[in-house]
Amino acid sequence: MKRLKSFSYFEPADVTEAIKILAEQGSNAYPLAGGTDLLVRMKRGDITPTALVNLKRIKGLDQIKKESEKGISIGALTSISAIENSPLIRSTYSVMVEAAGVLGSPSIRNLGTLGGNIGRASPASDMAPSLIVLQARVVIEGLNGRREFDIEDFFLGPGATTLLTGDLITSFFLPERAPNSAAVYMKLGRREGPDCALVGVAVLLALSGKKDGAREARVALSSVAPVPLRARKTEEILLSGPLNEDRIKKAARVAAEESSPITDMRATGSYRKEMVRVLTFRAISKAMALAEKGNTGN
Amino acid sequence: MKVAIELEVNNESYQVEVEPSTTLLDLLRERLHLTGTKEGCGLGDCGTCIVLVNGMPVNSCLMLAVDAHGHQVTTIEGLATDGKLHPLQKSFIEKGAVQCGFCTPAMILSAKALLDKKPQASVEEIKQALSGVLCRCGSYKKIIEAVRTVTEGREDGA
Repeated sequence: MKRLKSFSYFEPADVTEAIKILAEQGSNAYPLAGGTDLLVRMKRGDITPTALVNLKRIKGLDQIKKESEKGISIGALTSISAIENSPLIRSTYSVMVEAAGVLGSPSIRNLGTLGGNIGRASPASDMAPSLIVLQARVVIEGLNGRREFDIEDFFLGPGATTLLTGDLITSFFLPERAPNSAAVYMKLGRREGPDCALVGVAVLLALSGKKDGAREARVALSSVAPVPLRARKTEEILLSGPLNEDRIKKAARVAAEESSPITDMRATGSYRKEMVRVLTFRAISKAMALAEKGNTGN
Repeated sequence: MKVAIELEVNNESYQVEVEPSTTLLDLLRERLHLTGTKEGCGLGDCGTCIVLVNGMPVNSCLMLAVDAHGHQVTTIEGLATDGKLHPLQKSFIEKGAVQCGFCTPAMILSAKALLDKKPQASVEEIKQALSGVLCRCGSYKKIIEAVRTVTEGREDGA
């Protein structure tokens, strides 16, 4: 049997207590949410935490709710399957449902959480691209109180974030979606079943009143850069005129240029780059078709 | 440091003290001697350790036993009632959906979780529900057939 090495264990009852324990225990103390990534790294010996701070006794961290400031809030401990099955998220932010539905396997989705997926800061995160195109904000509580970041500014590198010792992600805020907009997520794995993304692409388009143009365009890529990447040059192309096939093709090429994928056991860098182009083209085309039909996605 | 937990496994209540580093899989196999739950990779990739927690499939190798506190766990040992096999177990036997048998408990439990929610699940839904369990014998076709047979037998949605 693959064993976990022993560690000190804490079950804080509220966020304040969790922050205090995390700060006291220092940088080798890890918050435990779903465990689907943390326990794997512990079993592999990649990390040897001296303490785990289990967040699951803290009430209210797994709520999905409408906020008075227009938008919804998703608690950090919300499971990936709860997002996949949430009627509230499906009705407005269906790109999140799409991304949740292709993350890992059903049993992993029942355990894994949104806070864990983002806090882990894996470049291959399936959830990050959607949150980026939706302009989500990460709500963090720490020793110095509460603060918020645009999700884009949260990632610093593989596994590295702006979180300080003692900081906890408590929720994500998704602002209300623009009218006539649609967002999609497309993922390529080595096979159809559960797999880590070789390439993931999220696209959000909001169409302007004028025919064929986009008022807003956001593109985010996973697995092809050190961080989940916002493809700003691609967005500039999309905003520069009518969304005809030539422009979409050009945007897809620029997305490939903006990416900097590595070669690893799953795929070569050059293959990933080419797939960025293919998936970006498809994702833009699909988002456009949905926005034209007045759908929000899916 | 041990932590006292209470949980229900296959409708029986247990009070146990566990080290926090004990996974639910360790607890089931080594303390409760429910060895129907298997460890394959131990890292969440193969799905052979899947059990149901409150009716939902989870990888027991990636869940701490302390997180099962207050919850209901179902393992393959809990499916037969009064010596009568569950329809899925019967169907797996009848269809020859078992080769080496190592993934079978996880396959059957994943299928049960689906059919409890959706008794008339489609083939696509069955494939999706079983997508987290690897069968290295490659007997997927028979496994899906076995589950499909049970959905067909439930036209009343019971």
